[in-house]
Order: sequence, then C-alpha cells, then structure tokens
Amino acid sequence: MHTYRKLMTKIGIHAILIVTLIAVIFPVYYAITMATHTHRDAYAFPPKLIPGKQFFQNVKEAWRRIAMTTLLKNSLIIAITVAFGKIVFSIAAAFAFTHFNFRGNWILFPLTMVTQMMPLPVRVIPLYRMMAQLNWLNSYKALTVPYLASTTGIILFRQFYMTVPVELADAARVDGATPLQYLWKILLPLSWINVAALLVIEFIYMWNEYLWPNIAITSSKMRIAQMGLRMLYTSERGVAEWNIIMAGTLIIMLPPLIVLILFRKQFSEGIAMQTTK
Amino acid sequence: MKKVLNRTFLLVLVLTLSFASLVNAEVVEVEFWHGFSGARLEVLEKIVADFNALNPKQQIRTMLYGTYEEGLARFLAAHPVKQEPALIGLYEGAMGAIHDSGMIIPAYQIPEKVGVEWDFGQYVRPIVTYYSRDGNLWSWPMASSTAMIYYNADHLREAGLDPDSPPTSWDELHEYGLALIEAGVVKHALAFGWPDWMFENQLALHNLEYCNEGNGREGHPTEVSWPNEFTDKLLTKWGDMAADGVWTYGGVEYDANGAFQSGELTFLMQSTSSLDGILRTVGDDFEVRTTFLPRLSEEYTRGNTLIGGSSLYVSNQATQEELEVIFEFYKYLARPEVDIYWHQNTGYFPSTNAALQRLMDGGWFTESRNHLTAFLQILSGKTDSHAAAGMKLGMFVQAREWNRDAIEKVSRGEDQRKALQYSADQVNKLLAEYNEFIQN
Amino acid sequence: MDRFPKHRVLPYGLIFPSISIIAIFLIYPFGQAIYQSFHRINPVRRQLVNVGWRNYVDMFQSSEYLNSFRNSFIFGVIVIGLGLAISLGIALLTTQRIRGAAIYQIAFIWTYAMSPIIAGVMWSLMFDPSIGLMTHVVGNLTGYWINFFNDTVAAFILVSVASIWVMLGYNITFFVAGLQNVPHELREAASIDGANTWQVFWIITFPMLSPTVVFLLFVNTIYAFFQSFGLIDVITMGGPSRATEFLIYKIYRDGFGRMQEGQAAAQSVVLFIIIAIVGAIQIYTSTRSAVYER
Repeated sequence: MHTYRKLMTKIGIHAILIVTLIAVIFPVYYAITMATHTHRDAYAFPPKLIPGKQFFQNVKEAWRRIAMTTLLKNSLIIAITVAFGKIVFSIAAAFAFTHFNFRGNWILFPLTMVTQMMPLPVRVIPLYRMMAQLNWLNSYKALTVPYLASTTGIILFRQFYMTVPVELADAARVDGATPLQYLWKILLPLSWINVAALLVIEFIYMWNEYLWPNIAITSSKMRIAQMGLRMLYTSERGVAEWNIIMAGTLIIMLPPLIVLILFRKQFSEGIAMQTTK
Repeated sequence: MKKVLNRTFLLVLVLTLSFASLVNAEVVEVEFWHGFSGARLEVLEKIVADFNALNPKQQIRTMLYGTYEEGLARFLAAHPVKQEPALIGLYEGAMGAIHDSGMIIPAYQIPEKVGVEWDFGQYVRPIVTYYSRDGNLWSWPMASSTAMIYYNADHLREAGLDPDSPPTSWDELHEYGLALIEAGVVKHALAFGWPDWMFENQLALHNLEYCNEGNGREGHPTEVSWPNEFTDKLLTKWGDMAADGVWTYGGVEYDANGAFQSGELTFLMQSTSSLDGILRTVGDDFEVRTTFLPRLSEEYTRGNTLIGGSSLYVSNQATQEELEVIFEFYKYLARPEVDIYWHQNTGYFPSTNAALQRLMDGGWFTESRNHLTAFLQILSGKTDSHAAAGMKLGMFVQAREWNRDAIEKVSRGEDQRKALQYSADQVNKLLAEYNEFIQN
Repeated sequence: MDRFPKHRVLPYGLIFPSISIIAIFLIYPFGQAIYQSFHRINPVRRQLVNVGWRNYVDMFQSSEYLNSFRNSFIFGVIVIGLGLAISLGIALLTTQRIRGAAIYQIAFIWTYAMSPIIAGVMWSLMFDPSIGLMTHVVGNLTGYWINFFNDTVAAFILVSVASIWVMLGYNITFFVAGLQNVPHELREAASIDGANTWQVFWIITFPMLSPTVVFLLFVNTIYAFFQSFGLIDVITMGGPSRATEFLIYKIYRDGFGRMQEGQAAAQSVVLFIIIAIVGAIQIYTSTRSAVYER
C-alpha cells in the first residue's frame, strides 16, 4: 500500500511537470511552426500547428528585411564588451573593497549599493541629453559605457572574496607577491565559476536590453537585435506576416539561448554557490 | 637611394590621401530621419538610392527614428545640442508643435535660400492646404494619405448584398454589418485603423472644427469643440454598432489590417497608405474594393477627409550646402516618374499635378480603381474651410491619446458623453498649459 | 580588511573605473532628473521654467498617475507573487527523488534567455484577436472572445502572464540551487518524526530558502517595475485606456512621446524612492540572515 502510494505520487509529479512543461514550451513551439508556414498558412484559421516547409525562405526574408547581419553583429559586440567589461571592473572594485583599507571605503561601497536602485529607465531622459552633448548618440560608446559599472557584480565578487581565508593573502604577501599578482594567480582561479555565471547573466541581460538602445540609436548601422525585432514586428504586423516575424524572433533568441545551454553547468553551479552565502 | 625612394613613396602616399580626403570633403551628406517601416521603407530606400546614384557628391542618408511620436520627441531634444538631422519626415500630429518650435525653416523659404524660384502651384491643392500656414507651405509634401473604407466584396456577395453599392452612411454601414453577421459571413463587420484619426476625419468630413481659433489655423486653440451634438450622434452610433457586434475595436495604427486580410472583417477604415500592402497580401484570396468614408447625415455640409502621413521639415541649423542637397532631393521627388513610382508602390498620393495628369493619361486609375478612391474623395471635398483643412494644435499627440481613450471606452459600452467629456477636459487642460508656455 | 596595507594608491586605481562610471552615468543624470523634476520644459522651445513642487503635487492629484501606480502595484504583486509561487512549486517537484529530475531542471531553465520583446511577440501572437490560437480556444470553449486591443482586463492578464513566463527559468534555477542546499536527510528526518509534507516545507525547507527568496524578490521587483518595459511596448503600448501603462512605461511616454520631461522626471524620483525602499528592506533582511548564518 505504501509503495503504491509512493508510485502514484511519483506519477503525479511527472504528470504535473510534463503538463507545465508543455504549457511553458508551447509559445515557442507555436512560434516555430508559424515560422515554417507560408504567409497565407500563417494566418489561416484554424491555425496550422503542423510545421510547413517555408522555414528557410522565411528566415532568409526576415534576415533581409531587418538587415540581420548588422543587428547580430552590433548586439554581439555590445553584449560581449559589456559582459567582459563588467566582470573586469567589478572584480577590480570588489578586490579593492575587500583587500584594502582606504579612505572613502566606508562611503563608496554603500554608494554603489544605492545606485543599484536607480536602474537605467529612471534616468533615461537626462542621459539622452548628456549623450547628445557628448556626441555619443549612435555609437557603441552609448551602448556600452553606461553599463560597465555593475553593482550586482561588485556585490557578488565582494561576497565571495570576503569568504576567502585571510591566510591566503597573508601568505602571498609574505612570499612577496604584489596585490595584482595575488588577484591574478590565486583569487581569480578560485572564482572562475562565479565569473562564468556572471558572464552568462550579463551577456543575456545585455542581449535583451531594449529601452536605452531604442532611445540612443537612430542609425540603421547601429541598430541592435531587439530593436530590429521590434521593427519587424510593428512593420509586418499590419500585414500579419507572422511567418516572417517569427522567423526573425527565432534567430534573435538563439544567441543567448546558446550561451545559456553551453554554460548551463557553470551558470547553475555559480548560482548555487551564490545562494549558499 | 633607397631612402629617397621611400620618401618619395611616402610623399605620394600623403598627397593621395589628402587629395582623397579633399574629394571626400566635397561630398555633402544629409541625414534624413523618417518613420517609414515595412513595405514603405523599401520603396523609400530605392528612391533615395537612385537619388544618391545620380549625383555622388550630394548624398542623402536615411535613418529610421521609430514611431512618428518618437521622431518628434527626438528631434526636439536633439536640436538644442545640435544633434538633429538636417531633414526629417514627420506626421500630421507633429505639425503644430514643430511650427511653434522655431527650429525649422518653412518650406516656402527654401527655394529662395538656394537662389531658385519654385512654383508651389504644381502640388496637389488639398495637400498643400493641409501643410500651409497663412497661405505659405511650411513643410514639403511627400507621403500624404487620407482615410478610406476597404471592403471585402466577396463577403458582400455571400451575404446577398451588392458590392457595387457599398454603404455611404453610418446607418447603412450598420445595416450591412447586421446583414453580414446574420448571414454568418463574419463575426464582426468593421474595424478602424488609427481610431483617433477616424474621429478627426469624421469631424472634418462634416465640415466641423475640432478646436477653436479657426481649428487652430488662426491661432493657438484654447478649447476643443467636442463633445457636441454631432459627436453625440456619431459616438452613440459607434456604441450601438459595438453593442451589435458590428464594430470591433481593432487596436491602434495598423493593428486591424491583419484581421481584414485574413477575411475576418468585411470593412476596414484605414489610411490609403496601406493599400499596396493589403492588395499584395490578399492577392487572389478575395476581391478588395475601396470606397469613401461614411457620412453621418446630410444635414451637415460636406467638408473633406484629412491629409495624414508625413511631410518633410528642414532644420534651421542646416548648412547652406545641406540646403542645396535637400532642395535637389525635393526637386527629385517632384519628378513625375519618381512621384508615380512612390504612389504606385505605397498608396500614398502623388504630390504633383504633373504626376497625377500622367497617371490619368496612362489609364492607371481605370486599371487600379482602388488607387483612385482616395483621390476622388479629397478632390470632391472642400478646400476652403478651416474645418476641412484639418486642425492644428501643439499638444496633438496627447489630444489624440485622450481621444482614443474615449473611443476605447465607447467600444466597451461606456457612456459616450461622459467618456468624451472627460477626455475633452484633459485636452483643454493641456492646451492651457501649452499656451502658457508659448506666450512666455 | 586591509590585507595589503602598503599599497595606498592601488585601491583607488581599482575602484576608479566603476566609481567614475557610476558617478557620470548614474548619479549625475539622476541628479539632473531631480533638478528637472522641479521644472517644466517648454515642449517646443526647450526653456526650463521653475515650477517648485507643482510636478509632484499634480502627479499625486492626477488620476492617471494614481491609476498607473495602482496598476503597477497589482501587476507587481501578480508577477512577483504568482511567478515566484509557480517557480517554487516547479523547483520543489524537480528536486524530488524522481527519475529525470535533472532533465526537467534543464528543460525549464531556457525561458531565462528570452527577452521581454520576444516574450511580447510570442504572446501577442497567441492571443491575437483575429488569428491567435488561444483566442479561438478560449472563445470556442467559453464563448468569450478575447480582444486585448480594447479589453483592459484581458490586456492586463496577458501582460502579466507573459511576464511570469519570461522569469520562470531564472526563478526556477535559483530555487533549485537553493533547494539543493537543503539536506535531504533533514527533510526525511522531519517526516519520520510525523510531520506531513506541508509542515516539512514550512518548518524545514522554506526557512533555509529564505536568502534565495529575498534575493529573488528583489530581482523580480526590478523586473516587474523596469524590465517589463519591452514587453508592454510590444503587446499593448500601455493601452487600452492606459490599463497597462505602468510607472516605467508612463515615465517613458510622458518624457518622450508626450513631451512632459519635467513631469516624467518627478515620476522617476518617486519610482527611485519606491525601489530604494524595497532595496533597503532587502539589504536589511539579507544582512540579518547572513548574521544568523555565521
């Protein structure tokens, strides 16, 4: 009786999980089938849920309409620059906050914490003016520099470095290592997992960023993937070319998905380490 | 010897480079911000590419700014820090604000500035009227459209209605809709694109002003004219049609086009600029026809439908060289073949009488009667009243939003008078605030 | 703290990049926003006019703002509450001792890679009033035809569901990570002692999960208040009748579309204060729990 109940519970769990999984995956499945249809089939009623044969034509068409090459290139450049830049900057800052006693330390760290609460959207309008004055609109600078300071990153690495035993640093100092040598040779190797997890988080964050780029960029040469998708969506929606829209959507969601799948283990482990602290 | 050779080489290199940069310096590039997306964008790109190929030293570089609203906001924010484009295409909603901004050179002054005479009489009259201020043209006509009804002729046949006599009044439209639903052809018969603009169009079509101060054409308006007896009748009608399921709210801008194209609606009120997109999408699925916007009742005199779309403005910070490029571009756009290409591929009006004449002579309008509808509509309307010319106000974007708000409420069955009065109060408040600023 | 006492200049060099960016691109513009919030900007000629507290007074008297405030709050509660509850439920199930648990965990993670724009596009197709599959399914089952173009409730629910969907992967990943730190033995010991599953959850699992919950609460708050922008911009553009014009979207519309920068700046300041309060609570609770652990 007991084992029977246990079995039923297990079957129940599987059933719930499978049903939710289907519900969660369905929008993407629907998008994929749409992307394989001809225009006429894409808005046919009842909707055709069996994939059609137009996938590559649709991808090609979406690619051409929003000049996908440029979009992907720009998005890759900014996402990679920001992800790496954030990590370098936040490691440096976290290292300073945890390993040195310097004047202003007491105010600067809380300051970085406070700024976490003024996310970009809140200061978008003055920022636009500022960028215009700097002549930075329509440039990679506008899309990367304001993002480079990461309070999340600083906090994350700070927390990690605080748990590293003091003896390590003392031993390194006695051995005559400079602080940067210590950071590079001892501290960093200990935090690769955190670095990888943060890389994934920041890459995805930046790839998906929309509000600020949408304001700072007007040039078609500087446009990024999310803006392109938004354009494809609004311009094709009038003619209901869901097949083209979805083909474009699938291409644009691919890079962050690949990053997430490739670094899945590091991402989960990095997060696991994070939550234990 | 080797050294000498090297030096000569270097010298040659330096000379070529500086010469190259000299040549480059002669190229004047004009930034052109616009809001054309979708099928229209491709047509525009083609025209600009042809223009650029014609004269390599005068180049137009197009940049899409997003929605029309964003375009206006960006221009106004960029101008004080000199980051604005020399040339920008803005929609009708930007007209009041941009005229008041003092940031542009009025279109009629441009030929003079480049030392040429230019005959503005060559442009189609109602279009020029719309973009004029005190009789002078303030922005260059480019992508002008108006609203009309698109209908699915097959649906009418299915319901036993005559596709050759489409509805001409709201009452008829209502009846047709009921018949179509009764016959089981559609679930809903009608939707609008740009619902706020349809409201504005109805006022203009019945020769009624939208706001005071001569519809904003004689000064800065202080009050909107609605709600009034006419809007009571109109919105009550819309409310009834919504209650009967005849009219369904189809979203903003071009959202409703999809439903029409997939055959779920019989009637679509939309800008003429959707014509080519719709015809291409629908193909042979059903017969698309077009007709005039419906009238409410003949007790009101006929005004005209409104011009919409976008027209071109020039920044007053543009250099003389840029002005010359822009004027060349304007002249290029006025060439009948370019104008015709634009019209035939987008559905926007051709702007010049010459192009219109050529289209008529070539039999284009008999070949494609749908392209003629909007023309007949605006040419048969008034051009001598402020009401028919269309309103002008600085806070247009917001006025529209408030107006749309009321229409959405009506579509949900709320009290039309209350809804519209609330919106009117908000708009009047905004107008007062705007005027306070302008007077200072 | 001071592990390298002889280096006086180096720490400044190390923090300089981050601090200067924070100062230039975060604090300075925010300061400007505060300044602007006491002004109105002539929409067309751009001069600033000092209006004192008028922007703030008007804001709290404007029924649109109060609506937006209320809607954002409801939206936040739904997205954060329901989103976290669902993710926790899934995470709990996938950490049971069942076959394929790891596969389930992977299968749920991917929505994290979806951008708000992508979520918006996909969900607006599902519920497209004319051809959306879900519109037809719901319509045929219940006789109610959803039209999110003018149905305020439908639009609101649609935006909420899409928002929850995007955040599922992220939330589940964090919950799974947190749950894996709860020793199985502890839970089993408790159930042997006669506690039922529900009691085990509340007495053992949930308290140990609280750092994760606090962290996710903050991240989801930021998400609901800020990141949802793209989603709204795609699906509803704040409509119908401003039902989905949440605080951040209103700031954007007022500042950029409606040309009321001063008023938008005042709203920015208020939004900052709201988020700062939430953040302060988070910092307070997380440092407190950290103390407990040590």
